[in-house]
Amino acid sequence: MLADFHVHSTFSDGKLSIPEVVDLYGKRGFGVIGITDHVGETHTVIGKAAGHLGLCLTKATFPLYMEILRSEAERAWRLYRMVVIPGVELSKNSISNHRSAHIIALGIDKFMSADGDVADIAKMIRNEGALSIAAHPVDSGKLEKQTFHLWNRRAELALAFDAWEVASGDRLFPQVLNSSLPKIASSDLHIARQMTSWKTVLDCERNPQAVLEAIRKQELQFRFYRDNTHETIHPYIHSGYRSLVDNGSYRSSTGNFSQSLAQ
Amino acid sequence: MGVIVHLLGTLVSLWPNRSRIKNSKDLFWEPISILKPLKGYDSGLEENLKTFLQLDYPSYEILFSVATFEDPAYLTAKRLIETNPHVAASLVVDPTHLGPNPKVNNMVKAYERAKNDLVLISDSNVRVEKDYLKKLSRYTRNKEVGMVTATVSGTEAKGLGGKLEAVFLNSFYARWMKLLFFVGKPCVVGKSMLFRKSVAQRFGGINILARYLAEDYMAGEAVKRLGLKVILAEDPVPQIIGQLKFKEFWSRHIRWGRIRKSQAFIAFMVEPFLLSVVSSLIGCVLFRSLFSVSPFYFIAGQMTVWFIFEIPTLIRSGSKINLEVFVIWLFRELLAFPLWINIALGNTVKWRGKELRLELGGLLAPDCTI
Repeated sequence: MLADFHVHSTFSDGKLSIPEVVDLYGKRGFGVIGITDHVGETHTVIGKAAGHLGLCLTKATFPLYMEILRSEAERAWRLYRMVVIPGVELSKNSISNHRSAHIIALGIDKFMSADGDVADIAKMIRNEGALSIAAHPVDSGKLEKQTFHLWNRRAELALAFDAWEVASGDRLFPQVLNSSLPKIASSDLHIARQMTSWKTVLDCERNPQAVLEAIRKQELQFRFYRDNTHETIHPYIHSGYRSLVDNGSYRSSTGNFSQSLAQ
Repeated sequence: MGVIVHLLGTLVSLWPNRSRIKNSKDLFWEPISILKPLKGYDSGLEENLKTFLQLDYPSYEILFSVATFEDPAYLTAKRLIETNPHVAASLVVDPTHLGPNPKVNNMVKAYERAKNDLVLISDSNVRVEKDYLKKLSRYTRNKEVGMVTATVSGTEAKGLGGKLEAVFLNSFYARWMKLLFFVGKPCVVGKSMLFRKSVAQRFGGINILARYLAEDYMAGEAVKRLGLKVILAEDPVPQIIGQLKFKEFWSRHIRWGRIRKSQAFIAFMVEPFLLSVVSSLIGCVLFRSLFSVSPFYFIAGQMTVWFIFEIPTLIRSGSKINLEVFVIWLFRELLAFPLWINIALGNTVKWRGKELRLELGGLLAPDCTI
């Protein structure tokens, strides 16, 4: 089943409401999505400003977020047999890209703070039974805020995260691809047009626990999903990896691409 | 900048709302449950409640609610139910404590007992016309509409505080409410909130609102996050202000302002530049240095122009235009900046005998009772 574990809604900087996100993915036959709105730091100017501008979840909006996610998860299952997993993207933003890091907590049931060291945050996420994912850890190649802090500390943090994003949106990250780190591919969707992007493919039962376990065990594959309504978008592939690409699905010459990633 | 925003607000406040369905003669009037949370004996309480027992609407029920049998409003509601058997009215006495918001605590059981999907939360100090429900419910025929609210107009004001409150509601507040809706930042007012239980269930029902002091604002936010529209009804709901001392007006606005600050801090910081007095002072400094205009004439001129712009909004809110209204208006404008300073200096509010501490986003701190 197709999966996307990095999706934003109007609770942070996404342009679609949660019901719109559910319908967007449900109508396209996805099996599971994780909705992961930003949570900013509470003691930094950038974090505070984002909170005041409504660009991230706060303690005040989080209860509503969880309730809407709960009711929409029920609707998604009823209408589309699609699993919706609640999550957040804990966002540590600094002027320096090297001090910035975004961490996805997937499968949460209570508010989590983005304050503190990233190693402690990853530990806290796991202690809550959720999955910790390093979001877009390397240069995304786009004109946007970059977050290199986790990648800079990858040797130390390798075991602290359940997965590292090997692709975000339409970009595949060769550095992550070539590493031995556990991987995941997501869209980082903010607008409907970003549906055309890398996704994860899972072969497990359709329930949150089974999905989280499949990611932990890295029983997954990756695929470039081309949305019919946005056919003009093509995946950005580093020149050294174009041979892996075969008309939108990704295989190595020696076998399934996902197997080579998981090793 | 202040003058431009002021003029824009005036124009928007006069703009007709075209969201409702106009041809309503043959349409089905969906049953409505009206929730009336009561506490204490507000000014004109009995007369206010009576207007809800005389509504011209085919099918509705009223659920009065009080926290205790000792509440002075209990007997009033009981008497009204007994003397108006033609209306499906009932009284719920329930001391449930879900969170720090006493209004939500008060009405949560009544909400559970409401028979209809369409629910109206209406405060005890509003007095309405017979066609009030018909006017409101028309908007809900559009399935994209998740909530209907209304501005409040101040009437029957007595005492300095009361008159200041009435002028405030009928000018500054009315103008800003309409302007916020116009720019897509709706601000729901709990005095009149019509919505569907089926929509509220999608954000956790009203129970979840008990943790916020401004439950109305958060309900509107939740509806917006569901991708539904929040509509401002065209007609204001008259609020009976009654006798209000200056001190009561002041503390009421401190409370209101601090809630506003916690919910929209950046907008709050911009506020002073949109106040008539601050705007006039900035303008007078600029005009004096650039064109050598006398500060006295500049301030007098700008305040006069400001008031002239205010007149259409005042009239639309049902206010008379006379010297007394002008003097009260001027006094309120002079108070606005000192009030803002006072609001900026604290994060606690006093409400119904309790002192509560606010956090970012309007959340009440867990240890909120100080």
